[in-house]
Amino acid sequence: MTDPNDEATNESPVATAEQAAERAIERAEERLPEEMTTPAPGLLPGELRPHPTPVQYVTVAVVLVVITAIEIAVSYTEGTLPDGLIVVLLIVMAFVKFFLVAAWYMHLRTDAPVFRRFFIVGAAAAILLYLIVLTTLHALS
Amino acid sequence: MAITEQVDHGPPPMPISNGHGNGDHDTHTGIVNPKLAMWLFLSSDCLFFGAFISTFLLYRDRPGQAGPSPADVFDIPFTSVTSFILLMSSLTMVLALAAIQRGELRRFRIWIMATALFGATFIGGQIFEFTEFTRQGLNLDTSLFGSSFFVLTGLHGAHVTAGIIWLMSLWGLSMQGRIGPGQSEAVEIAGLYWHFVDVVWIVIFTVVYLIPK
Repeated sequence: MTDPNDEATNESPVATAEQAAERAIERAEERLPEEMTTPAPGLLPGELRPHPTPVQYVTVAVVLVVITAIEIAVSYTEGTLPDGLIVVLLIVMAFVKFFLVAAWYMHLRTDAPVFRRFFIVGAAAAILLYLIVLTTLHALS
Repeated sequence: MAITEQVDHGPPPMPISNGHGNGDHDTHTGIVNPKLAMWLFLSSDCLFFGAFISTFLLYRDRPGQAGPSPADVFDIPFTSVTSFILLMSSLTMVLALAAIQRGELRRFRIWIMATALFGATFIGGQIFEFTEFTRQGLNLDTSLFGSSFFVLTGLHGAHVTAGIIWLMSLWGLSMQGRIGPGQSEAVEIAGLYWHFVDVVWIVIFTVVYLIPK
């Protein structure tokens, strides 16, 4: 039986980007030498699983470049698309890129959860700070 | 005479070895102190940049500002190229880490040098951009937009510069034979800092340059 929460997660832009990356990785791995498709041996301190393989790193980079290209294209649609939609699209794409770098390159996918919690607290506090500053100072001005 | 009761608490818990030959990093939690410290620093740095991004967003559109507006000075194609270069430096950084973990020191040196060069190219682009903006009449004291823009992007540039120095020192240590697979944790921590600088730029690029005014 499918969990409705899982379904909701799978439809998110982050999940879609990850699924696309994983499919591309599987296709690339079939054609490359073993050293490119196996993670580095051993675990570094605080890690629960091995790091991604070089092919996975390159695939994530390709996805990041594609998203950046779409971001730039969207920014040029000013006047064609409503500003609100452009802002939402750009923020979602920036979030996906942020997530991909943090999860794959900063190894939050494979590290102990405590590191993830530290980073989430910091990022959430930064967003909260922005909201407080914006609402307070905009109200005063 | 008082009798002191000896309570046996059993042997002290054994510290978990990190398995990388760095005994001074052993902890009872299994989480190494340098990595924990780096994540704590990055968490606090989120707030640091959050404050300056908030300030920029608040000040950029204030009416009646002297000097050029963001639309007058921003060169999106140019900044897109420098953003692309910084993104690619994150790729070379993880490839450097993978190389040193495998004991491939020559590849490690190539990738770490490539990362530093990409970073230096990004900084070169930022210096060019600042020079252009100054030529067009936008200085640190021209307007609220100018002040908040130069402080935010300048502080990010300072972070990138510190990262380049760190990467070059790793490259120098490896040339002296003082960094090998046993010290890959040091490379990972430098990588965490470098990727953080990259994710901050992802936010700055979107919020400062791309979102319509």
